[in-house]
Amino acid sequence: MNEMSWSPIGAPPPPPSPVPPPMPVGFSGKRSEFFHLVKRGAGLELVTLGFYRFWLLTDIRRHLWANTVIDGDAAEYTGRGRELLIGFLIALAILMPVYLGYFLIGLEAERLKAFASIPLVAFFFLFGQFAIYRARRYRLTRTVWRGVRFWMKGSGWIYAIQAFLWGLLMIPTLGLILPWRAAALERYKMRHSYYGDLQGSFEGRGWEFFKQGWWLWLLTPVALYVIPIAPFVYGAYKAIEWRWWLSGIRFGGVRVESKLRKSDLIGLYWKVIGWNVVLGLVFVVYLALSAVLVASMTGSSFAEFFTSQEFAKSIPLLVLVGLGYLVFALAMNVVIRVYLLRDLWVKVLGSVNVIGIEAAANVAARGELAGALGEGFADGLDIGGF
Amino acid sequence: MDSGAEVTQSPPGGSTTYFDGASSKRRAVMLRLSDRLEIVEDGSALAAWAYDDIRGVDSPSGMLRLSCQTAPALARLEIRDTALAAELVSRCAKVNDNAPGRRGVAVIVGWSLAAAASIVAIVLFGLPLAADRLTPLVPETFERRLGDVADAQVKGLFNARVCDNPAGQAAFVKLVTAIRESAGLDTSVQSGVLSSSVPNAFALPGGKVYLFNGLLAKAENADEIAGVLAHELGHLKHRDNLRGLIRDSGTSFLIGLLFGDITGSSVLIFGSRTLVTSSHSREAEQNADGFAIDVMHRLGRPAKPTGELLLRVTGKEGKGLSIISSHPLSEDRLARMSREDRPASRPPLLTSAEWRSLKSICDAKL
Repeated sequence: MNEMSWSPIGAPPPPPSPVPPPMPVGFSGKRSEFFHLVKRGAGLELVTLGFYRFWLLTDIRRHLWANTVIDGDAAEYTGRGRELLIGFLIALAILMPVYLGYFLIGLEAERLKAFASIPLVAFFFLFGQFAIYRARRYRLTRTVWRGVRFWMKGSGWIYAIQAFLWGLLMIPTLGLILPWRAAALERYKMRHSYYGDLQGSFEGRGWEFFKQGWWLWLLTPVALYVIPIAPFVYGAYKAIEWRWWLSGIRFGGVRVESKLRKSDLIGLYWKVIGWNVVLGLVFVVYLALSAVLVASMTGSSFAEFFTSQEFAKSIPLLVLVGLGYLVFALAMNVVIRVYLLRDLWVKVLGSVNVIGIEAAANVAARGELAGALGEGFADGLDIGGF
Repeated sequence: MDSGAEVTQSPPGGSTTYFDGASSKRRAVMLRLSDRLEIVEDGSALAAWAYDDIRGVDSPSGMLRLSCQTAPALARLEIRDTALAAELVSRCAKVNDNAPGRRGVAVIVGWSLAAAASIVAIVLFGLPLAADRLTPLVPETFERRLGDVADAQVKGLFNARVCDNPAGQAAFVKLVTAIRESAGLDTSVQSGVLSSSVPNAFALPGGKVYLFNGLLAKAENADEIAGVLAHELGHLKHRDNLRGLIRDSGTSFLIGLLFGDITGSSVLIFGSRTLVTSSHSREAEQNADGFAIDVMHRLGRPAKPTGELLLRVTGKEGKGLSIISSHPLSEDRLARMSREDRPASRPPLLTSAEWRSLKSICDAKL
């Protein structure tokens, strides 16, 4: 089981508060608008060699947050791309000496015994968990609803150590302990989360997660061999995880319930796979056309061009392949963002019901903004974040 | 002069909501548009915002959401009546000041391009220079540590043992000593033959040269092997390993800054890194070849046989330079060694008996 599977795609946005039974949590954004946003963003990412990511991520969140309507009032995301950029730069400044120190310590370890430095990777795992916590805190403090922000305290390092110790237990238990790990870590996160002066808590129990998902644990080894069932297993797992997580969230007297269906998420994953196949075919056709084009320009016969492996050395062909791949990768990014961010968000919101929303009717504003350092680390260490 | 014509709108039950930023209490309000925007609840004014301080913020479609720079940061006014929203917006000259416009995007693109260009320039020109300058500053003891680590790893990876039957070892030492002295390296250089069928040889940082038995098996005379050893000693002399380490880790780090979280970016990063590091590597290989040719000249032996051995090992590599290969083409290396070749002016470095012993250095001890 992937140690970090909890935070990536799901990285649960500052959630839902309240809705009275007759008025479910809703999403008012148009799909075409979101599509335009990520399409334009992908183009800008291409032009800026990826530096636009900070602003694109911010625009995506702004769109999703602003269109999330709870009890008739829409949320708002107040983070900005510039903050993410600064967080990234600071994280780099910290990570550079860390990398150097890691290298030197690893060198000493290797001198004692070959490959003895491998356990040092654990250190980066710790760093990654710290980043996950602080990134959540950044996102939460940028979430505003009814003129009051969510916020978070607690220590990223204490969280990271807990996550690390639970991670150690994952090894001897072959991942069976995952539900209890998720519950314990989420309790820590939610206990330190607030909406104004309303303190959060998490009531999901590891045992309930286990009861719903144990059969997936059995299926996982099968799915690793029988690839076609993997999307079913993963989709079902994510649905159970989301449902369990949402249903455990509390802010004071406000409770959340979710009835997310497994089929909803499985459908989304298959759509992404379908698009991947289609775009992959287009890419292959493009490759073939470029090869023919380049071969015809070099003047050698096709057979000769390919049998002599000359094609692997042709610079024009490599440039064409590189460009094609870039466009292919960005198109896949658009697909993933539309289905696994926007559509998933809408499905999850549609499954949510909020009980006891009256408790959030008059909450006093509190809490400070947190810096974007965590997001920077998450980016620098290549940990996915929402 | 009744220009500040008072307009009072949004009747009760209305579509206008106000949050004061101090609590989450939802207030149905009326707006009075006078010289300022007055927010009124049940007849009493809650706040008055100057039009020039009003800024738009994110809102769902069909709603106008406003904030005010002089009010609490999170105070929000939400207007659902489009006519009222239009009327109000027409009075607020700076309502769109916070919205990122085309100019904002152009600035981001401009700076990103500048950053990308500077990264590329540093990778291509800055890092090689920095590596050249830094390498002499790194103490040799540190380099030797690197070598010890690599040594243990190499032996582990190839599952190789050191071949040293006495006759073969004697011949090997004689050959290496001759080359080493001619190359101007001191006795700290360590060398050995490893029992692996991979036809290769390499230098490790801190002065170690290994020859795989597989290369000996393909070699036809001592000059071929001598040139290879001289080439590897050239890497040692130039401290190419350390230089490459500094340069390539810098390259990886800087290229890793680009692309970021784009799905599939690792391929791009790997690809661009390969292009850069292999171009640097080819340059180092050419220098080592030049060094080997000089050494062979000084020893009075031909350099061309080494090129022939290389070609025999790799086979013909085809025309055109591959921009992703770490070494120059074997054909080109042979061509250069032939071009700069001189006929033998001294006797062979090893007698034919010694050469036979070297070839069988990995056979069981007699």
